[in-house]
Amino acid sequence: MDTDQTRRMFLGKAGASLGLLCLSSLTPDLLAKAHAYAQSAVAGGAKSYRFLTAQEAADFDAFSAQILPTDETPGARAANVIHFTDFVLSTIDSDQQAAMKDTFKDLQDQVAKTVPGAKSFAAITSEQQIEVMKAMEAVQDAEAFGILRGYTLTGFFCDPALGGNKNQVGWKLIGFQDDFLYKPPFGYYDAHYDEGKA
Amino acid sequence: MSGVTPPQHHYKLTEVVDFVIIGAGASGGVLARELSRNGFSVVVLEQGPWLTTKDFTHDEYMNWNHALLTNDFRKQPTTFRKTPKDKAKKRPALVYGRMVGGGPVHFTANYWRFHEIDFIEASKKGTIAGTGFADWPITYADLEPYYTKAEWDLGVSGQAGASPFDPPRSKPYPLPPMPIKSSGVLFEQGARKLGYHPFPAPMAIISQSYQGRMPCAHCGFCMGFGCEMGAKSSPLPTMIPQAIASGRCEIRPNSYVRKIELDAHGRATGAIYFDKSGKENLQRARAVILAANGSETPRLLLLSKSNRFPDGLANSSGLVGKYLMFNTDSLAGGLFEHPLNEYKSIEVTRIMHDFYEIDPKHGFYGGGGIDGRFLWYPISFASVGLPQRGPQWGSEYKKALQKYFTRSMYLTGHTTSLPLEDNSISLDDTVKDAWGLPAMRVTYKDHPDDLKTCQFMLDRSMEILDAAGAQDKWAYPVEESTYGFHLLGTCRMGNDPKTSVVSSGHRTHDVPNLFLCDGSSFVTSGRGQPTETIQALAFRASDRIAALAKQNQI
Repeated sequence: MDTDQTRRMFLGKAGASLGLLCLSSLTPDLLAKAHAYAQSAVAGGAKSYRFLTAQEAADFDAFSAQILPTDETPGARAANVIHFTDFVLSTIDSDQQAAMKDTFKDLQDQVAKTVPGAKSFAAITSEQQIEVMKAMEAVQDAEAFGILRGYTLTGFFCDPALGGNKNQVGWKLIGFQDDFLYKPPFGYYDAHYDEGKA
Repeated sequence: MSGVTPPQHHYKLTEVVDFVIIGAGASGGVLARELSRNGFSVVVLEQGPWLTTKDFTHDEYMNWNHALLTNDFRKQPTTFRKTPKDKAKKRPALVYGRMVGGGPVHFTANYWRFHEIDFIEASKKGTIAGTGFADWPITYADLEPYYTKAEWDLGVSGQAGASPFDPPRSKPYPLPPMPIKSSGVLFEQGARKLGYHPFPAPMAIISQSYQGRMPCAHCGFCMGFGCEMGAKSSPLPTMIPQAIASGRCEIRPNSYVRKIELDAHGRATGAIYFDKSGKENLQRARAVILAANGSETPRLLLLSKSNRFPDGLANSSGLVGKYLMFNTDSLAGGLFEHPLNEYKSIEVTRIMHDFYEIDPKHGFYGGGGIDGRFLWYPISFASVGLPQRGPQWGSEYKKALQKYFTRSMYLTGHTTSLPLEDNSISLDDTVKDAWGLPAMRVTYKDHPDDLKTCQFMLDRSMEILDAAGAQDKWAYPVEESTYGFHLLGTCRMGNDPKTSVVSSGHRTHDVPNLFLCDGSSFVTSGRGQPTETIQALAFRASDRIAALAKQNQI
């Protein structure tokens, strides 16, 4: 278990380029199992968790709902981010478990600092949650914040076969489609392209 | 998706083959095809799996975060430090293709020739104090026939003569350029307004059916993904099956080489490798060719110590692993009024080479190209694709994702890296890989001129976005490199055995039947797109090695 490497799995503060996104690895065999598990978890509407404790699940659910709230459009909860995260941490990302436990501890520590006496992140008000998150984001490298944000974004925008991005709510939000075949023109400017005038 | 081995000729371990090639990637695939077609028996040892088009998916998380097509940090950790004085820290520092077909399976497919200046720049502009900036022992004219061969044998789409800066060529591209995307149109309009000369990007992706392969379907998953159509012209759908068809080439995937063996006369006798089950084997050969990439090739030489070569095989110069060059990249984004839908089709359709050589009056050395493109997929776009000054979570962030995704494009600058002796691949003192071998230690700090070049490209990119009418634009700050994709220069080519590792014919100066041919042979970095030069060198090396073998001079 290499915490430094794990912590880099997701970017705390954005700003790096693509290399930092290409990190860990797994065997292709495990991929098939991961897909199968994801699909069964979704199909079964699993309420229990494989890796997360009930408290961690509640905290992460609240955190991810602040990252991508359900407002005029569906947010993290509608995309099944919580079950996606639980299943990848129990399977293909199992080597990230220790880092995730550290991350939850960091979250709890910040809750205790910001709202003394509070039971958990999930138990405080939305305004207090935002205050906690801003404090975590302000830390150098913002690793704990980055991991929680990273799993949220991954669960929201991933291939639905992995169990997140339920009903493609993430892809629909941004206007992405994964079709195998496209033909030009692809966008407005190539549709109106006149080489002579360019 | 475990990878299967298609039917092919098999050699017994007791057989001595003509060539053992280590690495089935950009250069190894070419060498395997050329030498086996030339009548030689060839075994290729590849550390990664043998995947096929059926194994490839559009799954961003698995392909990017779980490195399906690239090196596996969990099994092959790296350490990184900026200078030799620092203590190296364990963390991912390199990304390279690790499968049959190599890096070109997952690359963006930018396919640029070097220009004439790249080979003779030190003598034209003068050496640079504190660097290993030097001329190549070969010229563009030496390599030109092999650039042409690479373009025609692999399948490259482009428009000859479209750039006034292009070097001379003996033949046009075999295929017309890929259809222009909105990013290409906007880049072209902005660049032309400023008096620049954008042109259709040469891409190793086939725009029409070619040699029995289907053309690109514009699915949008190139960079970081394997092509399900087989339209990306990596060695996987081209060189590899043609090598197998010779009946004289065996590709052995999942074969992790740990040492090159030498006999009492100082000649290489073969390669010792771990097979998939972890069993150690020796593949004997009359000659050994390392085509393992600019990091694995020097590492393997450093691992192959002996009484004769206490500092690593073929390392009498002491330069094995040194002069590592990554190329630097600049990145700027722009938002436009109408949808571009850049997630469709290939990444890049227009580039420019107006700053291939930046005017020395700016006070630094450097140069490069700029392209207009898209760079992300949904997860990575959400992670880092928006302007950094805006919110990165919450309702406003969600609205920004919604607004920017289909209407954004990016300009990337691809630039020079000066060769510095301290920048290197070496063996780590403490960290080991999953096979118990010393991990790779990467030492890297950009030369100040490299960063100035990068900033120069970024400034020009922002001006082009303005000229193209961007409603919003944002620059990603230029930072020192802390990881590399382009692994160049670590066993540099030269005529003098004291200042280089291989000859102009890729033969090591120290071991007559040991050849190195990949990014490690580079003397200078070029301008950020090294694959075509790696492959042209491999075609040229194949000719020379075959001629030597036929004359019994190996």
